[in-house]
Amino acid sequence: MEQVAIASGHEDHGTVTGVANTKLAMWMFLASDCLFFGAFISAYLLYHGRAGQAGPKPKDVYSIPFTSVTSFILLMSSLTMVLALAAIQRGDYRRLRVWLMATALFGATFIAGQIYEFTEFYRHGLSLSTNLFGSTFFVLTGLHGMHVTAGIIWLLTMWGMAMQGRLTTADSERIEVAGLYWHFVDVVWIVIFTVVYLVPK
Amino acid sequence: MTDVQVPEADHELPLLPGEVKPHPSPFAYVIIAVILCVITALEVALSYTDLADGVMIALLLTMAAIKFFLVASWFMHLRTDAPVFRRFFILGIVAAIILFSIAMSTLHIFSP
Repeated sequence: MEQVAIASGHEDHGTVTGVANTKLAMWMFLASDCLFFGAFISAYLLYHGRAGQAGPKPKDVYSIPFTSVTSFILLMSSLTMVLALAAIQRGDYRRLRVWLMATALFGATFIAGQIYEFTEFYRHGLSLSTNLFGSTFFVLTGLHGMHVTAGIIWLLTMWGMAMQGRLTTADSERIEVAGLYWHFVDVVWIVIFTVVYLVPK
Repeated sequence: MTDVQVPEADHELPLLPGEVKPHPSPFAYVIIAVILCVITALEVALSYTDLADGVMIALLLTMAAIKFFLVASWFMHLRTDAPVFRRFFILGIVAAIILFSIAMSTLHIFSP
């Protein structure tokens, strides 16, 4: 078993739990991040529809077709991320580099879409301080965008290491941990897309 | 976790420490991605219908939950990895739901 594990890049971790500490730490971070995003989603639900607010309302500014496309792009980035993990586990370093870059590009496209959306909202008179809807919307989606941006930087770092030949099958756990973070920002967006954009106001 | 019948594990890879079953094959990942896209398309289409708000909200939240669990169980490997990861994640989700449901109830968001 030990020989098989080392050949595939996963040594026996020798921890109390029997699993890698880095992976366990990432899962603990993601569990805490559920509470972080839960707070901002709750704040949006509480305040976006409060009566007597001046300025644009959700139905005045949302473009569901546009946001659907960016959501689709983020979903596809989860596929390319998991294909990057499969590639490094098989020792296919060319595909690893391709899928890592594809994931980063999908993420960058999502962020570009978000910047465009924010700009459009601002042109329609909605800013962070216009009303409670604007405050809670920009803080929630902006913090998610910051998570995606951090993920892109992480992916590009991994891609740079892969280009220099510094990522091998023995490092597949590093790709897996980065992937866990990336998939988490995707599942958070699944919730935001439904609760913020699609649920009737 | 949600169980979807697609081609199972990647048997070319050995069972790794901390895994209950091998990771899915790349083909299985593509099938899951297609299912996610179909559900997203259904969600968007549903949002343009004239269903009653209550029915629409219930359907949209159900579809979002299915997507959430598909990504968590297949792409994040919760269905094949050691249960300790799943327990941590579920703890975070349940804690968030309970905490913020109480907070929103206190602020009367569920009142008519």
